[in-house]
Amino acid sequence: MKAWAYVAIGLAFTAIGYGWRDIKTGQPSNPAAWQRLAGVVDERKDSPDQVFKSGYRLIRDNYIRPVKADDLKFAGMQGLMAALGDPHTLFMPPSLAKRFSEETVGNFFGVGARLSADPMGAKAVNVFEGAPAWNAGMRPNDVIIAVNGKKVTGIPTDDIVTQVKGPENTIVNLTILRSGAAKPLEFRIKRGRITTPTVESKVLEGTKIGYLSVSNFAEPTADQFDKELNRLDAKGVTGLVIDLRGNPGGLLETAADMLSRFVENKTVLTMRKRDDEEVVRTYSGAVRPWPYPVAVLIDENSASAAEIFAGVLRDYGLAKLVGTHSYGKASVQNLYPLIDRSSAKITIAKYYLPSGDFIGRKVDGDGVYVSGGLAPDILVELDFDSDPVIGELKKDNQLAKAVELLEKK
Amino acid sequence: MSKETGTRKKAAVGVFGGFVLAAIALPVGIALRDWRDVGTPTPTENVLNERTLVASTQPVAIPEADYFREVSALLKREYVDPVTDDQKLASGAVRGMIASLSDPNSIYMDKDAFRTALDQREGKFQGIGASFALVERGAANPLAPKTADGQPAESAEETLLTRVRVPRLMVVGLTPEGAATKAGVRVGDLVYEIDQHWVANTDLLIRFQRAQKEFDAKKITLAQLNVIRKEVREKTERALMPLKAIDKLAQGKTGTTRVVWERDGAKRETTLAKGLTTQVPNGTLTGKTAVLRFSAGAKDTLTSALAGGATTLDLRNGGDGDYKTMLECLPLVVPTGTYGGIETDRPEKPTPLTVKSGTKSPRSLTLLTDESTRGAGLIFAQVLQKSGIGKISGKQASDVFVRTTVALPDGSGYTLVKGRYREKPTAKMVASNASVTGVTK
Repeated sequence: MKAWAYVAIGLAFTAIGYGWRDIKTGQPSNPAAWQRLAGVVDERKDSPDQVFKSGYRLIRDNYIRPVKADDLKFAGMQGLMAALGDPHTLFMPPSLAKRFSEETVGNFFGVGARLSADPMGAKAVNVFEGAPAWNAGMRPNDVIIAVNGKKVTGIPTDDIVTQVKGPENTIVNLTILRSGAAKPLEFRIKRGRITTPTVESKVLEGTKIGYLSVSNFAEPTADQFDKELNRLDAKGVTGLVIDLRGNPGGLLETAADMLSRFVENKTVLTMRKRDDEEVVRTYSGAVRPWPYPVAVLIDENSASAAEIFAGVLRDYGLAKLVGTHSYGKASVQNLYPLIDRSSAKITIAKYYLPSGDFIGRKVDGDGVYVSGGLAPDILVELDFDSDPVIGELKKDNQLAKAVELLEKK
Repeated sequence: MSKETGTRKKAAVGVFGGFVLAAIALPVGIALRDWRDVGTPTPTENVLNERTLVASTQPVAIPEADYFREVSALLKREYVDPVTDDQKLASGAVRGMIASLSDPNSIYMDKDAFRTALDQREGKFQGIGASFALVERGAANPLAPKTADGQPAESAEETLLTRVRVPRLMVVGLTPEGAATKAGVRVGDLVYEIDQHWVANTDLLIRFQRAQKEFDAKKITLAQLNVIRKEVREKTERALMPLKAIDKLAQGKTGTTRVVWERDGAKRETTLAKGLTTQVPNGTLTGKTAVLRFSAGAKDTLTSALAGGATTLDLRNGGDGDYKTMLECLPLVVPTGTYGGIETDRPEKPTPLTVKSGTKSPRSLTLLTDESTRGAGLIFAQVLQKSGIGKISGKQASDVFVRTTVALPDGSGYTLVKGRYREKPTAKMVASNASVTGVTK
């Protein structure tokens, strides 16, 4: 073969390799990719690059109010990703990305209290037992009115949270209003590593039914799940309600880990990715005995890992689902951290339950729910008119229905 | 070895070599593409290479253009379904930036909505024959209920409580033959419900929060609180966001739609047939009154109206109009001079609104306005009033915004507020333009 033939073959296959991604994704003609190779930057006025750039500049330089350039850039990226019409593919600016990763990891340095807005400052809706704030004497419903002597009345809760948090072992002084206390209380709290409790349990009053609520599937959740199960087992429960209402999901690995307490080496789900398929299975050697029936409570706010957990238990006949249909998030996202500390959450796969069901949510043009999510075995709407209290048997009609089901068995 | 065997062997070696080369060249090409797409297209730092990200210990600012390119590339590489429409991503980014302004006067419109808005500017209407604007409640809303001392009835705390600002949808234009006009709808009416979908607004949330507080203070019973709770639940389940609601009312040539309107707190239901209607043509002269809207050709329209002896300009139902077109019209009616200016909330000085080569023989004009006279139309009226030539007759809205309208390649578009007209120049502006202001006195 002549030398020119080798050169031609080399060039041709290099070119095929360069365009391989486009061939695979069904868009064999992608001029932009070839322009990039040649170092040509598309400066046409109507090129997507320029459309974005000129919009950005027009708003930044000419809008009636001053605009922070970074905020505008981030808003643009949020819009760009939202354009796919997938509510789970989204861009997170640095502040949001930080909070998101804290929620997923389930621990951060702080005092161990969950805060919500209050006209006077920030109200501690929950103070975690054993955390620094608890040990210092803070209790739920305390209202923080000053941080390190500085008043926080009228400041957004997120900003108060930022002030309360800080490096490990540093001190924060909180001024607290407590109903019943004659004057504000002062607390000196040493910040520490906080592990947010994601699993709580109790034996329901007047029954032998255990109640275990899982607020999300974070890293420590599987361990906390085991601990609470052991606690309930020791009390000799005869049935178990796992409450996943309002559980937005979390880590798939955690759900698979927890399901491994029920079944070993069984399909949890089939993930269909762009180019391949992957089956996630439960692990071996972690199964527990289940001498009592299990019911799982779900509602429209149970999503993602919570739906996988409930769906797998249902598909293998291990639990009955009680409540209302779940959210219907049947996709898996990867988190891509960017160098400016923002991140992109992108749907990389769609998943199917062991039964083969696809539970993806469908909405109409107005965003109103049409179908999707897990359908409960027993449909019970929460009775809002009775002023319900979640997890209190007498004030939670969905829980009462689940208990009734378990007691029948 | 025969010559033939030698040739065959040579050919085999050649083909084998070709295969080897192909096997090397293909991955080289793939690697080249990876480098080109994910690598650094500009001399700035790469945004998305995970290796760089992990290595980075300090946040690095990324220029916006690189951001757009890199995030698009990341989506194309990783998203579960093929992403092929770059223009859609660009428009999405613009939409996101506009939405972040939370400004009811700066809005992004998809292809159909933008077409509708442009058509309306030309006087061509679909749907129920009406145009709409988003109005904010509280101080920003001129129509909000006021207390005796002129303050908005809604407390600052309530405004803060709601956080999310969802403006109301108000009628700001009607075609004479449109279904809305025939059903008695008036400019200023608010849209409350469309085809049993509640049009989202903050009023309900405020009412709920008020009730919750009263319940906490034991002023109302649980049963009373539950009534409003139920209302909130039912309404939010079937809520329609205001921009979507505009599409429902202003688009479509067939079918009917059921609308619940709100006027002075009272609600009224109508069933309206959709169809094509038009505004009274621009420039139509009835007696001495000429219709004037600031759309294409307005300058000629005004010239001929004045030639026809018009002494009254009807500026109603003109939408927000085109600011540049309005500026072209001003010299026909006012003398050379500076008439107030355009101010912004930026630290910059206001821009004086100066008319060059104005008319030498101005004529007194009456300007008909109502709440439908907005943007360019209202600025025109106020400039004429300031010049002493015009007399405004009718209500005045508070919308004196200078907007720019931008069309995007995929047919969508947006409006952006660049400033607001002020009749009286601020002190800062008077100082900086003392000589110009002197001319007008």
